[in-house]
Amino acid sequence: MNALALLLNLAAVLVLVLFLSNAGRLLGPEPRHEGDSDLPYETGLRPLAEAGPGMSALYWRFAVLFVVFDVDLAFLLPWALERGSLDAGSLAAVTVFTALLAFMLGYFWRKGALSCR
Amino acid sequence: MSPASLALLSPQAALAAGALVVLAAGASRRCSRGALRALAVSAVAAALVLLACTGTGQSPPLLRLDLLGRCFESVFLLAALPLLILMEADDEVPAALVLGSLIGMGLIAASSHLLMLFIGLELMSVPAYLLVSRSRSPQALEAAVKYFFAGGLASALFLMGMAMSYAASGSLAVVPAAKGLGAAGLSLMAAAALFKIGAVPLHFWLPDVYEASDPELAGFFSTGVKAAAVLLLARLASVSAGSALAAALPWAAALTILFGAAAALRQQRLARLLAYSSISHAGFMILAVAAWAAQGRAPAAGLAVFFYSAAYLFMSGGAFLWLKAAGVTRRAQLKGLARGRPWQAAMLAALLLALAGIPPTAGFAAKFLVFWEAFKAGFYVPMVLAGLGALLSLGYYLGLIREMYFDEPGPETAGPAAAGRGLGLAAAFAVVSVVLGLLPLLASLWQPGARP
Repeated sequence: MNALALLLNLAAVLVLVLFLSNAGRLLGPEPRHEGDSDLPYETGLRPLAEAGPGMSALYWRFAVLFVVFDVDLAFLLPWALERGSLDAGSLAAVTVFTALLAFMLGYFWRKGALSCR
Repeated sequence: MSPASLALLSPQAALAAGALVVLAAGASRRCSRGALRALAVSAVAAALVLLACTGTGQSPPLLRLDLLGRCFESVFLLAALPLLILMEADDEVPAALVLGSLIGMGLIAASSHLLMLFIGLELMSVPAYLLVSRSRSPQALEAAVKYFFAGGLASALFLMGMAMSYAASGSLAVVPAAKGLGAAGLSLMAAAALFKIGAVPLHFWLPDVYEASDPELAGFFSTGVKAAAVLLLARLASVSAGSALAAALPWAAALTILFGAAAALRQQRLARLLAYSSISHAGFMILAVAAWAAQGRAPAAGLAVFFYSAAYLFMSGGAFLWLKAAGVTRRAQLKGLARGRPWQAAMLAALLLALAGIPPTAGFAAKFLVFWEAFKAGFYVPMVLAGLGALLSLGYYLGLIREMYFDEPGPETAGPAAAGRGLGLAAAFAVVSVVLGLLPLLASLWQPGARP
């Protein structure tokens, strides 16, 4: 019984996905392939470069570092909101946590991960 | 958390402190490579000492360190020592990565909470991907990417299983489940562990990764990381009584043993041969875990699981160290090696005999314990298949020994010199992997009142 429900669900998902991805072709008007209508962006201008420009690997280093520290700050926020009702143990824990973050920031700095070269 | 429960994590604290000190020392640029190496090794040694002082205990819901976890953690730490000693690195990053990986393994050993297990799994795996990418082989980057995607799939499986288990039980503790959503979640998480172990059919990434890694790193993967995954599987299998997972495990083990042994027969590159042999050995560990779980976590079966991992640490770790020390990569280079390098050939022969499970080596004692427990658990057919696999594996272990001792040296035979570093360590591992097999015999002789 459960297997049948699962199969029906699977079939429904397949039909829906196939329909939605082809609905334009099935129901819409005949597409015109003239002028710039097949270009990615119809702004009236010829595209100047590839749609997906190459991005410097440096960017990803910054992005990853930013996300790491951003997520870590998300841990600090609930602690700060509840600081009145917490004891010394939690203060010690958050101190250690922040000290680790500061250490790693210092490490990245020292290794030159924050420079733009 | 009380100080007493935090003491359970003191080995991990030592490793973390070691990693931070290594990073700081590396960043100060005033530390030599030897000093960095000494710092990392002393952090692991400190963790070993602290582990010996740490008792078993628990602090619900996150921590639970039992005897099996403590024993396994000593295996992880010992597996990392030769890697840290022999690693050739220009900076402090690889040493810190190994220490981070060890912290993850320790979390797997010290917890039975799914969230902690997942964090441990990730903390163990992510440094491993990076370590592969820093190997010297030209395929290192490709292997690292392969390892990363396979590992990512395993993590996704684990998370999915975690979600299903949570949906079924409403808690993230490892709770028993015999059928329904909870059992399905347990199976998915076990699949993630089997992925990391390299069980057939989830093994496809393993030979490529071991071949592209530096030999000492591959040795760490095949002993330390594999043991951690076996422990993870044991944690999950111990609550799977009555589920499809418990029924499937011995068969997965038999399949793994047979496939690994059959695939290793034709390998010409020694690292790849050892990789397939490690798949085959992983099958024996899975069989031991299945027998342990089926007998309601009997201590004797737990001993079989631990002893196999500990013996394998010395056998396989020693074989990879030998590859590193002798500087040999291809099978043809072994032809007639005993003429030019009799001591090195004897060392490898001892390690291969142990891997093959010839008495009186550690490999024999380990296999004997596993077969005995599998017999007690009633896995008769998987046992016979495992025996066939062990027989098949003699083909390449003894074949290598024959080529070293009875073949004439060929044009490709490695010359008499050109030994790399780590020969002493490999020799020590070879001696231990023989002597460890005599331990059960000695223990039975020393028993008060025992008759010969």
